[in-house]
Amino acid sequence: MARVVGGIGASHAPSMEHIYDAGEEVRESDEWQPLFGPFKQVADWLEELKPDRLVVVYNDHMDQFFLDAYPTFALGVAETYPVADEGFGARPFPPLPGDAKLGWHIARSLVADEFDITICQDLEVDHGVISPLPMVDFSEGEGGWKIPIVPLAVNVILHPLPSPLRCWKLGRALRRAIYSFEDDLRVVVVGTGGLSHQLTGPRFGQVTPDWDQEFMRLLAEEPESLTRYTYKQLIELGGTESVEVVNWLAMRGALPDDARPLVTAYYAHRIMGYGLQTFEVAA
Amino acid sequence: MELTQEYLARLDAVQPKELPGDLDLFDEATATRGIRLNKAAYSLKDEHQRDLFAKDEEAWMAQFGLTDEEQDLVRGRDWIGLWRSGMSIYVMVKLSGVTDTPLPEIGKQMKESGGGANG
Repeated sequence: MARVVGGIGASHAPSMEHIYDAGEEVRESDEWQPLFGPFKQVADWLEELKPDRLVVVYNDHMDQFFLDAYPTFALGVAETYPVADEGFGARPFPPLPGDAKLGWHIARSLVADEFDITICQDLEVDHGVISPLPMVDFSEGEGGWKIPIVPLAVNVILHPLPSPLRCWKLGRALRRAIYSFEDDLRVVVVGTGGLSHQLTGPRFGQVTPDWDQEFMRLLAEEPESLTRYTYKQLIELGGTESVEVVNWLAMRGALPDDARPLVTAYYAHRIMGYGLQTFEVAA
Repeated sequence: MELTQEYLARLDAVQPKELPGDLDLFDEATATRGIRLNKAAYSLKDEHQRDLFAKDEEAWMAQFGLTDEEQDLVRGRDWIGLWRSGMSIYVMVKLSGVTDTPLPEIGKQMKESGGGANG
């Protein structure tokens, strides 16, 4: 039987890719240490925990999915996930290893639980996955990606969006899917996106640190209270693009109620409220 | 068929209404208005399309059935006009790449725009 052994919530952003790709000196600079320092803590924690798989709840940014057919929920069932070209050439990472067998099992279980997902045998992952992942799951110089993933994409860009409550329930269904898998795997669930940011209109660049920190507190202490927020409230509190935080809510829904926060880091910088939070699950 | 309060609340929850004028979202109106421009900018994921854009912008534009007005917005690098015409920020970023426009420049124009994408 597989089980959930931890959770990670992490922002995703092209800026994180630029800084990672600029090298260790830039990552460790005074400007970026408040974000990349905590990422190093998470990498160390993960190294110790040694999970067998990561299920990554994220959102695409019109790099794989487009408006011709936009899926509300889409699940990867592939053995590898190439890095998407977002319009500037793909970053030079090898394709991420997947686990098709686990992917198909999760697909069956989610559909049985009335989550009628789009099933993807070919899926290129964009910065929704590969902006935070190298910080915790990539060895430079010694063999690349360490942990196979199963990506689960949520539509957070084309309204109507699945409600926060629906995303929480998706997490609950994901948890059941993991626990009903026959292989003895230890799984960490990752939710990416947010926190506050606004990329359009007169409020471009607005970051709201008080709300971001309150969001992380609620996620740790009373996660179900977040299911009662409407998208209108989330947009007013954190910005149009901050609604990505429902990916974190799905992650939290996949964890047991008594999961405890371990690393909690926040850095409001330039046009982003960057958040990072890990949860440990009692054995 | 009774439309219960519970149902109506759920319906409300997936589609924000009456946002303040300085906030916007990508929905039925913008997706419908912007479909040609979004197809055009989305194509720039492909390096052959980026090469064509660099070599012959008019030939690149001719592939997508853009209206005359939309073509002028692209030619003019009119980011606010493109946004108001329904271009998603995520494909606008791809167009900003091929036109060497840094995001902060688009951001500056956004801040001065006075809004209007959901108008």
